[in-house]
Amino acid sequence: MPDARELSIRGTPIHLLREGSGPALLFLHGAGGAGRWLPFQEHLAKSFNVYFPSHPGHGGSPAAEWIEHISDLAFHYLDVLDTLELERAHLVGASFGGWIAAEIATMASHRLQSLVLIDPVGIRVDGWIYPFLFGMDMPELVSTVFHNPMAALALAPPDQSIDTLALQYRQGAALARVAWNPHLYNPLLRRRLARISTPTLLCWGAHDKIAPLVPCGQTWAREISGARLSVFDESGHVPHLEEPEAVAEAIAEFCRAAGGAA
Amino acid sequence: MKFYYFHLMPYVMEHDEPSSWVTLSNRHYDPATGHTLYNQYLDQFEHAERLGWDGLCVNEHHQNCYGTMPSPNVMAAMLVRRTTRARIAILGNGLPLRDNPLRVAEEIAMLDVASGGRVISGFVRGISAEYFSTAVNPTHSRERFYEGAALILRAWTEEGPFPFDGRYYRYPYVNPWPRPLQKPHPPVWCPSQGSSETIEWAAKRRFPYLMVFTPIKRIAQIYGEYREACERYGYKASRYQLTVNLPVVVAETDAKARELAQKHVMWVFNVGLRMHPPFWRPPGYMTEASLRRMLANPPKLPSELTFEEAERDGYLIYGSPATVRDKLRIFADELQAGILCTAMNGGTHERTLELMQLFAEEVMPHFREDAAVDETVGVGR
Repeated sequence: MPDARELSIRGTPIHLLREGSGPALLFLHGAGGAGRWLPFQEHLAKSFNVYFPSHPGHGGSPAAEWIEHISDLAFHYLDVLDTLELERAHLVGASFGGWIAAEIATMASHRLQSLVLIDPVGIRVDGWIYPFLFGMDMPELVSTVFHNPMAALALAPPDQSIDTLALQYRQGAALARVAWNPHLYNPLLRRRLARISTPTLLCWGAHDKIAPLVPCGQTWAREISGARLSVFDESGHVPHLEEPEAVAEAIAEFCRAAGGAA
Repeated sequence: MKFYYFHLMPYVMEHDEPSSWVTLSNRHYDPATGHTLYNQYLDQFEHAERLGWDGLCVNEHHQNCYGTMPSPNVMAAMLVRRTTRARIAILGNGLPLRDNPLRVAEEIAMLDVASGGRVISGFVRGISAEYFSTAVNPTHSRERFYEGAALILRAWTEEGPFPFDGRYYRYPYVNPWPRPLQKPHPPVWCPSQGSSETIEWAAKRRFPYLMVFTPIKRIAQIYGEYREACERYGYKASRYQLTVNLPVVVAETDAKARELAQKHVMWVFNVGLRMHPPFWRPPGYMTEASLRRMLANPPKLPSELTFEEAERDGYLIYGSPATVRDKLRIFADELQAGILCTAMNGGTHERTLELMQLFAEEVMPHFREDAAVDETVGVGR
C-alpha cells in the first residue's frame, strides 16, 4: 500500500500517494482517476519512486477556486516538484493529466528527465473534434473511453451516496473549469510543443475514440521532435488501465534508455 | 392579484428522442408551421391585453421544442408596438449566456423607451441545458450572472461614459444610448428554481422572485425563505415580490378541464422537459451546498411526472371557473402571491382564445381587490 499524505502547495492543499524506490516519477491522472492506486501504479513502483497527487478538486484534494486555466495546473505541478524537492523527475500523464504534463514540458523541460504522455488531449488537431464528454451519461462515457468496458470496473464509484455523488460533481466542475470551452484543449499549446526538449514517449491505445491515433497521436508525434510513439493494440483511451503491465514496462524501458534507470 | 399571460411558444410535437433539448434535431422544425404558431401565439398575447391581463411574459430558451424564443427581446419588440397598456415582462434574458451583456442593457432600454416604460426586465442564469447549447462554461454561470447584472444596472443608472473592469466583462466605455425611461431603471425580476444564493441576491435588491413550474409545498418553503431574507435586509416583502408561474387550465366543467390538462400541461412536463440526464446537471452550475440539498431530497424528473402526482403536489391548477377560483385562493390568500403568470392552452388556437376569455370573465374579476394598485411601485429596484 502506498503512503498517503496531505501537502500544502503554496497554500493549496492536496492529497498525495507515494510508493516505490528508484528515480522519482510524477504521475498525473486523467478525469476520474484520482487516488486510484491500481496495477499500473503497482508496476511502476517496482522501478520508480512514484508520486501520485490528486489534482485540486479531484479525489482527496479540495477544489481550488484560483485554478481557471490549464496553465494554472501546470504551474501548480512545478510548485509540487519544488515542494517535494525534486530537482528533476520523470513525468507521466494520462489523458487530461497528459495535457497538463505537456504544458509543463513546454515551460520547463529542464525539470524533466523524461516525458510520457498516455493518450493526451490538450491540442487542437486538424480534422478532429473531441467528443463532448460532459454531454455523455455513464454508459456512453464507458463505451467511449474504454476498448474493454470491463476495465472500467476499476474506476467504478464505491456507492451512490450523497458524498460520492458530490465528489463526482466536484471533479466534473474542476475539469469543466479548465476544459469546457475550448473543450479539452488549449489553442496555444500545439505551437509550443516544439519547445519540448525532453525525451518523449507517446503511449497510445489503438482504439482510442476520444483522441484517436489517427489523427491525434500522429499529430503529437509530429509536433514533438524525436518523440517515440508506442501503440497498444488492446486499448482504447486509457491503455494504462486496459494494459497496465505492458504500458508500465514500456515506460520503464524508455526511462532507462533516457538515462534515469532503476 | 395581478395576472400576467406567460407563453413558452412551444413547438408541440411527439417524438421518441431521449431529449427535447440540445440534441433534438431541428429537422423536426417545419418553418411553415412555425410561421403559423408564432403568429397565433402573438395574437394570443394581444388578445390577453384586450381581455384585461396586466402583463405579457416572454422568455429565453435555446435549441428545444419546449419554447421557441431564443431571443425574448425580439418577441417583446413585436408586442411593444401591438399593445398599449400591458406590462411586457421579459423573463428573462440569460445574462451569463451573453458574451456582451451590455447588449441586454441596450435592448431593454430600447424596449422601455419605445413602450413608454412598460418593460419588466427579468435576469436569469438560463437553465442547465442552455450551457450545452451556448457552450458557456457552467462553472462561471453564477459569477457571470452577478457581474452581468451589476454591469447592466450601472449602465442604466450611472451617467456614462465610465469604464467597467470585471472578471468576465470589460469595457473601456460604458455609455449606452438610449437610457431606459423608467426611473431609476425598469423593474428587475428574478425567475429562479430556489437556490439560497439567488434568494439572498434578489431579496437584498427587492427584486421580485418568480417560481416556475414548482410544486406548491416548495413554493411555500421558498417564499418563506425569501420573506425571511427581506426581513434580514430590513423591510417587509411586498406581495408583488412573490410571483408564481403555474399552468392553469380552466374550461366549462372540471371534466373538460381535466382532459385538457392531462393532454396539454402534461406535454410540457413529459415531452417538453424531457432531457438527457447530463443536460440537467452541468458541472459547477450549482454550488456543492445546493447540490447536496437537492440530492437529499431529489425532485422527480418532469419527464417521469404523472398527472396524478402533478395534481396532488400542486404543479398545476385545473377545473371549472368555480374550481379554479377556489384553488387560486390558496395562492392568493395563503401563499400571498401577488402575481400569477400563466398561459392557457386549449389545444387549438381558437379553443385557447375561448379559454382565455373564460378565465378573464369568470376567474380574474374575483381577484381584483387590488385593481387600483401599481404592482411595480417600490419593487424590482
